[in-house]
Amino acid sequence: MKRRKIIGILSCLLLLILVVSGCAKSQAASKQKIVFWHEMTGPAGQQLDTFAKEFNQSQGKYEIVPEFEGGYNEAVQKILQTHGTSTSPALFQSMDVSTSEIYHAKIATPVQYFINKEHYNLNQIQPVATSFYSQNGQQISMPFNTSQPVLYYNATLLKKLGIKAPSINPSYSEITNVANQITQKSNGKVKGLTVEEYGWLFEQFMANSNEHMANNQNGRAGIPTKVDFTTPGAQKAMSWIQANVKKNDIINFGSGTTAEANEIASFLSGKLGMFLQSSADLGQLLAGTKDKLGICYYPHADGQKANGVSIGGASLWISNDKPKSVQNGAFEFIKFLMTAKNQAAWQKATGYLALNKNSQQEPILKKLYAADPEAMVPSEQLSRTKANTANSGIFMEGIVQERNLTQTAMQQIYTGANIKKSLTTAEDSMNTYIANNNKANHYN
Amino acid sequence: MQQSLQNKAANESSNLKLKANSTTASKSKDGWYVALFLGPSLLLLGIFVFYPMLKTFYLSMFLTNNVGKATTFVGFSNYLSLLKNPAYLSSLGATLIYVLAVSALTVIIGLLLAVAANQQLKGIKIFRTLFSSTMGVSVSVAAIFWLFVFNPSVGVLSQLSTALHLPVINWLTDPTFAMIAIIISTVWMNLGFTFLILFGALQAVPTSLYEAADIAGVSKTTQLFKITIPMISPTMFFVLIVTLIEAFKSFGLIDMMTAGGPNNATNLLVYRIYQDAFLNGNFAQASTESIILTVIIAIFTLIQFKLLGKRVNY
Repeated sequence: MKRRKIIGILSCLLLLILVVSGCAKSQAASKQKIVFWHEMTGPAGQQLDTFAKEFNQSQGKYEIVPEFEGGYNEAVQKILQTHGTSTSPALFQSMDVSTSEIYHAKIATPVQYFINKEHYNLNQIQPVATSFYSQNGQQISMPFNTSQPVLYYNATLLKKLGIKAPSINPSYSEITNVANQITQKSNGKVKGLTVEEYGWLFEQFMANSNEHMANNQNGRAGIPTKVDFTTPGAQKAMSWIQANVKKNDIINFGSGTTAEANEIASFLSGKLGMFLQSSADLGQLLAGTKDKLGICYYPHADGQKANGVSIGGASLWISNDKPKSVQNGAFEFIKFLMTAKNQAAWQKATGYLALNKNSQQEPILKKLYAADPEAMVPSEQLSRTKANTANSGIFMEGIVQERNLTQTAMQQIYTGANIKKSLTTAEDSMNTYIANNNKANHYN
Repeated sequence: MQQSLQNKAANESSNLKLKANSTTASKSKDGWYVALFLGPSLLLLGIFVFYPMLKTFYLSMFLTNNVGKATTFVGFSNYLSLLKNPAYLSSLGATLIYVLAVSALTVIIGLLLAVAANQQLKGIKIFRTLFSSTMGVSVSVAAIFWLFVFNPSVGVLSQLSTALHLPVINWLTDPTFAMIAIIISTVWMNLGFTFLILFGALQAVPTSLYEAADIAGVSKTTQLFKITIPMISPTMFFVLIVTLIEAFKSFGLIDMMTAGGPNNATNLLVYRIYQDAFLNGNFAQASTESIILTVIIAIFTLIQFKLLGKRVNY
């Protein structure tokens, strides 16, 4: 009796599975499925799902299936290892620093192919972003979630202490002058400035000084064979920080995600006057602060023009292991994401910068700027930067290692170590890595 | 435990062989039996243990390209460069400190708890259950629990120190304290198992020894060092080695609590392997690190075999 009952239930279940899978199949047959791997969480992940849903409803040919893949780093390995299998994605998001790796692994069709085929107007996208993801004049992937580092300050606090706010494009000494006044006038209750020990910021000091970190013009003219961490710009920035850490005008919050969280917490509670961080934090800061927020561009060395900083974030790639029809669908979705309206919605929802030049005229952003005028500053910094090889990112493999090494050097420098020695140690380790990696990949 | 299971399996198979010998004299049939009984386990071990091991060793002799394929043979130079790498050596040092601290503290505290729980008191069973309860806690739950304890603003410890007007310690962001925090959490996690095993050993010590000691007027402390510890020393040694090897393989708590930071202070060997393989994509280096770790653990296992074999029948 019992056994018969179980068999009955089982067969019912089987029938149900068959019916359901049948339905799914009939749906898939009518629409081309395009699997999209991404690494966005929180509001950004939700906004991506919304975009996919809107795109799927807007046309009858393709169906985007967004799949969350965890952190950036793990995702790179998943993408590389699954390529050529049935589980690999048709479209994927991959972080900025993996660009050279993905390009050389030859797993993607350059988006330039689709741009040429469909006469897509690439000029509507911000050039500092497109140049980051291009090589030999070819657009290899489409920039997507994009941020730049900026300097945040507490405008209300400065006013209360009677300190003149820094100019929009400040120099190092101007910033430390403000930092010094904050500490003095608040009797040490408020810390002046912090610069996180973070390799990305180290790269930006060099970019803003118009210097190449890697040879062969940051890898744009060929595979890098050496890095230089001890350029005048890098040393100037490090000695600026070291001297001011000593004078307590710059406070050391350490490194890693905890340092960033602590910086923001201190800033929001009025215990920190200024800090350097990604523009992607803007949303969180605007939501969390009771004070008026001030933003200016990334500081530059005294007596030297700011060259502009490079971007961070991730780009969208089209896998070359899927049929042409699927790849075309993937590009359709990219075009959909890059429209002025959707880029504006993306900036509003996430804090990442709208990359379509026409997004600034969209009502969504106009409304945002009307409420918080300073929210415009990161977009201005992005659009006024003239792209060159120094501020278009480093096209090199092993940036993860490079950032770890420069971060360690920064940790040593902040606590008083010899600048040139710390940077040279990091540089030597990186050069060894590059030599091995080039040998392993038969680049030379 | 694994070892005793292996012994058991070996005994059984030799019994079967004996039977096979006594009933049929044919040697070829014997071979068939061997193949039949050992085949499945050899196959599984081969696929899931020996092949990956050999492949790891193979990869450690090469440089790997950005999709993880071995491309250039370099012999032992991966090992040489790793053993000259200050970051790796500091990882090795941190691992040794961690492993020694964790295993020593686990055995000492476990023993104290076991001795305390061995008293015949009312309600002692509640304590016995409590002391062994961490056995049922999963790593992720433990990590989240300790993250709350160590949280700089809402954590129990920081609130306690604020209430007592003591300076607040940045448990997970200060390199020294992060290591201490990880050690505390690991010891806490290990205690349940250690307690249970040591308590079992205590129960097996004959009460007549204590009775005789009592009659002779030997103090309780002397009893602990002259009777209890010698009687359970083989078990203690077993627990020590198991904890030691487990500590070498620690991953979950570190991944969830510090992710190897701050300033690589808690970047222990296993976590480093994971980072090199799956974050940096440097499979050759990760394989080299794996082989070095295997050698280290093998040395400790060898010590275990040698010493345990001698001391098990005192």
